[in-house]
Amino acid sequence: MDYLDKEILVLGCGNILFGDDGFGPEVINYLQKNYKIPDDIFVFNDGLSVRTILFNIVLSDIKPKKIIIVDAVNIGKTAGTIFPLDVNDMPEIKCDDFSMHQIPTSNLLKELKNFCNVDVKIIVVQVQNIPEEVSPGLSNVVKDSIPAACELILKEINPNFANF
Amino acid sequence: MGKQIIIQPVSRIEGHAKVTIQLDDSGNVADTRVNVVELRGFEKFCIGRPVEEIPRIVTSICGVCPWSHHLASAKANDAVFGVKPAPAGKKLRDLCNSVAYTEEHILHFFFLSGPDFVMGPDADYSVRNVIGIAQANPEIGKKVVRNRHLGTQMLDIISGKSIHPVTAVPGGFSKPLTQKERDTILPMAEEVLEFAKFSIAFAKENIFPKYLDTVKVLGVFNSGFMGTVSEDGALNVYDGKLRLMKPDGSFTDFAYDQYTDFISERIEDWSYLKFPYAKSWGEGFSMDTNNPKGIYRTNSLARINVADKMATPLAQKEFEEFRAKFGRPAQLTLLYHWARLIELLYNAEHAVELLHDPEITSKETRVPVTPRAARGVGCVEAPRGTLIHDYETDDKGLITNMNLIVGTTHNNAPINMSVNQAAKLFIKDGKYDQGILNRVEMAIRAYDPCLSCATHNLDGRLPVRIDILNSEGLLINSIQN
Repeated sequence: MDYLDKEILVLGCGNILFGDDGFGPEVINYLQKNYKIPDDIFVFNDGLSVRTILFNIVLSDIKPKKIIIVDAVNIGKTAGTIFPLDVNDMPEIKCDDFSMHQIPTSNLLKELKNFCNVDVKIIVVQVQNIPEEVSPGLSNVVKDSIPAACELILKEINPNFANF
Repeated sequence: MGKQIIIQPVSRIEGHAKVTIQLDDSGNVADTRVNVVELRGFEKFCIGRPVEEIPRIVTSICGVCPWSHHLASAKANDAVFGVKPAPAGKKLRDLCNSVAYTEEHILHFFFLSGPDFVMGPDADYSVRNVIGIAQANPEIGKKVVRNRHLGTQMLDIISGKSIHPVTAVPGGFSKPLTQKERDTILPMAEEVLEFAKFSIAFAKENIFPKYLDTVKVLGVFNSGFMGTVSEDGALNVYDGKLRLMKPDGSFTDFAYDQYTDFISERIEDWSYLKFPYAKSWGEGFSMDTNNPKGIYRTNSLARINVADKMATPLAQKEFEEFRAKFGRPAQLTLLYHWARLIELLYNAEHAVELLHDPEITSKETRVPVTPRAARGVGCVEAPRGTLIHDYETDDKGLITNMNLIVGTTHNNAPINMSVNQAAKLFIKDGKYDQGILNRVEMAIRAYDPCLSCATHNLDGRLPVRIDILNSEGLLINSIQN
């Protein structure tokens, strides 16, 4: 897993144990199974560990040109809707880090975008269901939106190519 | 400025800590409570699943110490199947554990707790954070990234996956280490060892002396301790026996599967997280900081306290200095940080030792297993405390019962008590400010709590919130990160 010298990182975030929260990892699986990924692009199921990677990138001399985060949100849209989220639209939270595992990812992403000249893109799905207890598996409507998310990611990677 | 929208970052399994401070009529602290939300449903989800699947599933509990869960689960599998792992397989697991430890301890010391000490507890939030410390000490920042990255690379080479490991299997390890891989890793491990040596020397010279006065008062109370030691009493973070030490330093050793004879889990109606306590002491449970009952702590300071010695020479030297200075058991809460650096040194040395062991490249890394109805308890010392996986299976090897006690849960009562002590120390006559908030947080941070492991938070609330209530229980202020 040598990501520090890659041009573009595509990171799937989320917990596969909690319903639609597993969207990010499932998108990464789909990308890896159905597309040939160029060597300079790092496509990774980051699960719950995205902050570890972002943290290292923030502090590293070598940085990617672009980071694409694939995630799941609940903001009242129609379930299964795929849309980009601007990092600056994320709520302001102070950068104090009570704990590494709880440092709000949004702060690290803002740091990368605003001070490290990294192009940060966030592609999210509106969830249908995030269970209160462990219950793996995407809802059908969210599962059906995986190919659309992949198309958006591919356009972000290279606007000139619809496919690899 | 762009449009601001409210989102719920549902992909996080991060926990949050809510601290409630109740004041009395004169504005002094009457009571405090630290609340976290428990990860729910995992044990139930595992019922009926093949036990050998669990080591792969548990890495999804926590993105911070997946190796600890992976290895504790593999050890519980060994016990369920009634096998001893192949020696090389056991050493490879041990190696991965120590490498993961070095990554975690470097991170915690320099960037999680470091800002409190390097920038100072009264420094503004805008600089008292990981970015601030990297800007103030760019060379250290680079070294931290370099050494953590070396850890990731080593784990990738040993196991193929550093973040969601799958190689620890019932009976051993699924992937032998080749000679070539060992030769690639060894210089990396030696470089991490050099950084570990630098780290403790740096802290002893530049940080600890400056804050000894704070160390002596913040979050302090007397407790017992628990951790794992080898048969010869040396600290061991992968395998051995559990040692439960009373506040007076006397202790009892027991096998993992006897833990229910010594520990019980208490439920408090105001907390989702359970409160383990030492039931074998027969004194009940009390979080009164002046007269605690049944309270023990885990994590680095506990491990250093219960150990008779260290198994590696440089760590042994540091251990002797620490013990001469602070006694046994050392009770000062902020000494967790110092103990963590001794452990960093030990694990870095241990990784190098293991890589020099000819058996580490043996191709015989696992033994065959056969399903059976049994109970198996696996335990490792996660960086954040003793991690217990307790499984029962039927004759087909399907899970029929499961209990997990994670490191942070052991420290639930101690964290509450340290916060109580710190709040009472600093909040007087109704006066408090952001610096006081941070001192209360420092008491929590010493335990390096992995609330993301002990908890599951879906709504994106912020990591720490302190609510201050007046004597009538009405909220008069709320401070949050």
